[in-house]
Amino acid sequence: MSAHIFQEKSSAILTVEKIVFWLFRVATYVVLIFSAYILLTITFKGIGSVVKLSPPFIDIPFLTESPETLHVFQFEGKPMQLGDTEYRQFTATRTVNDPNESTVAHSAGGIFPCIVGTVLLVVGSMVIALVLGVSSAIYLSEYGGSGRIVETLRLAILNLAGVPSIVFGLFGFAMFVIFFKWNVSLIAGWFTLAFMVMPVIITAAEESLRAVPQGFREGSLALGATKWQTIRSNVLPYALPGILTSSILGIARVAGETAPIMFTAAFVKTDQLPWQGLAHVTDFFFRGVMALPYHIYVVSSKIPQNEFTERMQYGSAFVFLLVVASIAMTSMVLRTRLRKAYKW
Amino acid sequence: MSTPSSNKSTMRDALTKPQGFRFLGLDFDSAIKYFFGGNAFVAVVVLALITIFLFKEGFGFISQNRRNLQVYRQAGLEYVDIMRSRMDAHTKLGRQVNAARLNLFKDLQKQGKSLDEINAMLAPLDEFSGKFSDAAETLRGLVSDYGDAAATIKQSASEIQDRLEEKEMLIDAGKRDQAEKVVVPVIDFPSARKVILDSEPQYAELCGAMRSTLIALINTPNPGYEMIPLEVRSRFKTDTLAFLDYLDQGKSELTAWNPDKPVGYLDGLASFLTHPEWLTASFWQDWYGVIPLFVGSLFVSVIALLLAVPLGVSAAIYVNQIAGNREASYIKPAIEFIAAFPSVVLGFFGVAILGETIRAISGWHFLSWISFFPIAERLNATTAGILLGLMAVPTIFSLAEDAINNVPVHFKEASFALGASKLQTLVKIIIPAALSGIIAAVLLGFGRVIGETMVVLLCAGNRIKIPDFTEGLGAFFQPVHTMTGIIAQEMGEVPSGSIHYRALFMVAILLFLLALGINFLAQRIVRRFKISIG
Repeated sequence: MSAHIFQEKSSAILTVEKIVFWLFRVATYVVLIFSAYILLTITFKGIGSVVKLSPPFIDIPFLTESPETLHVFQFEGKPMQLGDTEYRQFTATRTVNDPNESTVAHSAGGIFPCIVGTVLLVVGSMVIALVLGVSSAIYLSEYGGSGRIVETLRLAILNLAGVPSIVFGLFGFAMFVIFFKWNVSLIAGWFTLAFMVMPVIITAAEESLRAVPQGFREGSLALGATKWQTIRSNVLPYALPGILTSSILGIARVAGETAPIMFTAAFVKTDQLPWQGLAHVTDFFFRGVMALPYHIYVVSSKIPQNEFTERMQYGSAFVFLLVVASIAMTSMVLRTRLRKAYKW
Repeated sequence: MSTPSSNKSTMRDALTKPQGFRFLGLDFDSAIKYFFGGNAFVAVVVLALITIFLFKEGFGFISQNRRNLQVYRQAGLEYVDIMRSRMDAHTKLGRQVNAARLNLFKDLQKQGKSLDEINAMLAPLDEFSGKFSDAAETLRGLVSDYGDAAATIKQSASEIQDRLEEKEMLIDAGKRDQAEKVVVPVIDFPSARKVILDSEPQYAELCGAMRSTLIALINTPNPGYEMIPLEVRSRFKTDTLAFLDYLDQGKSELTAWNPDKPVGYLDGLASFLTHPEWLTASFWQDWYGVIPLFVGSLFVSVIALLLAVPLGVSAAIYVNQIAGNREASYIKPAIEFIAAFPSVVLGFFGVAILGETIRAISGWHFLSWISFFPIAERLNATTAGILLGLMAVPTIFSLAEDAINNVPVHFKEASFALGASKLQTLVKIIIPAALSGIIAAVLLGFGRVIGETMVVLLCAGNRIKIPDFTEGLGAFFQPVHTMTGIIAQEMGEVPSGSIHYRALFMVAILLFLLALGINFLAQRIVRRFKISIG
């Protein structure tokens, strides 16, 4: 091949450049590989708790039962691992005589109440956060302008976004649990999480509102529509997909947080599902729930790491990761698709 | 069709008469505006409420801690602690001898000696170490006796406190007559602690005895003492002499000690900010010093940033400047996706896998030349730091990438036109232009890691102690405890309203202020150093 006049000749500068650029590349891939490693380890070790090789292919008890104490013992020379309920049935007719019999808390059964609790927490707090967040965003982008008050508002939102989640937890504890006397309850968790995620939603919603071209508003106003009519019919519909995708990101964040619900909403163990045994309908809101993230914290810190506890530990971590990752993934896919779909 | 006149009147009506809907004097449109505005205002309200509630719960700490310190002083615990610190210094000195023995033991073992042989050979050294330790016997007795006496006084003081609280509670509940019946014991601190103050002459006497014993031990030839390697021995000697001065200094400290010196409110706060111990449920004295937690938080964050800043900024540069469009379009969402990893899952990964892996690697034979390998603790500052670093990467990456992206293309084009290479353009033009944004990204990443809870709670090892930085790099593998971790760990177990409870709120206040400070600084940097693009 003949040399082109613009062809790069090898020189010291170019070699250095190549090396430096490779360093940047390596750094990038180190991050990606390490996170992929985490993802894959938890998936491989956890998938066994959820998926089975025989029909129905899904470990239904793991997804539908409550956590139980695991009994590990030898019976007639065979190693046995039974959950508390099964163990009671088993020992009702037989006597287990194993000096090495041991029990591990939280390691048998499933995670159904935790999933339910997480869903309830996320749904409730998102409703609150969306109402507050979207309204705030509408105010900031449509009515606000750039006065002193709006500056203050923006500053507050920006600062609120930086407050550590544990501080939100403590605030929720002091205000809702103690001061309002709501105790450790679903509703206390809702408000704590909603306040925590509000800045994220406001920022995201404002961004999508601002993306709606000014002409849409001007056209509507010129036709004599009021401000609210304009917003309702010519701004919100176009911003809504953007707002929703961004709030999905907020959902992922709410679902993933543990610290704020530790002392505002989550229980290590409750016997009843949130809707069971209610003396009054409002009790539903004023009772704590079990939640997946808190459950994972409990099973990874309070019980040992061994073959008997692995099923619960990796299984819950996997399910949780799957839930949060799919929420985040949905938001990302939707966002890229919407960016392509909405071009003005 | 209406006549022109009636048309005119409707027009006038429309212009002058109020519209149908009115709420608090507002028409529909303004009502909606204020509704949205009110919602936006919630952010300010929440920020205010956080401040109010944190301070409301935390502020009582200062007066409670003042009382705590007052009892500590009045009951004579502080006095005994002057002696106790000397005892601790002596014990620490003794550890030098033990360390020397351990080294000798290892050497002899390497030479293939049996256990009995080694013990026989080291017998003189053991005798020496025994004598050294015995020299402090009287001091130990003194501390123990007077410590008991002081603890008893403190016990009765806390009983008074309990009774007072009981009385207050009864009065609050409206049971005045019952409250009258609660007997609050009275103690006379001066006469109670008289016993303790008697120890002063004993201490002076002990100082003299200890000086002569220790001087004799390190100056007269002694086979056991000579077994210690010369280098260690000379250090031991200087340290012992320094210790003796410290011991003597105790005499004047004891004399100067004033039990009635008032403890101010500021002391209650100062003790929180400066005391090097966080010690709760202790039989002797509870300390709520935030220093070890603060240092732990900072240490873990620094480790995280040491990893996350190079990685995050490199990745941002790579994606924005070096990688092709296609590659960038895969890497960008992938790194942003890391932000969705729940921290508790990362924490679990640290507990289950990463900690063990780091320990296993530190045990590899070819790394044995590193003095602090293999490491003892599976969960330590580095385990937490690595995972926190991973969590900070997406934050730093996104913000830094934005900053680089905002550098106008013509800066780059101009640089190329002048004949600069890609690397030169990057280092001399693009990075400096984006620097304020990158620094802000790093700061916000710092804010993220210092406020992170679950990873540090699960992986940092939770030992409340300032890491021993004299060990050099070994400090990275020591367990630490953090401000966020302590709140999460202890909040569930403390009775609300107690001093311990309030101390945790004080920690939260500190975290809150720190977060606000970091945010403020990041904004200032972005605003002030932004290159004007135009």
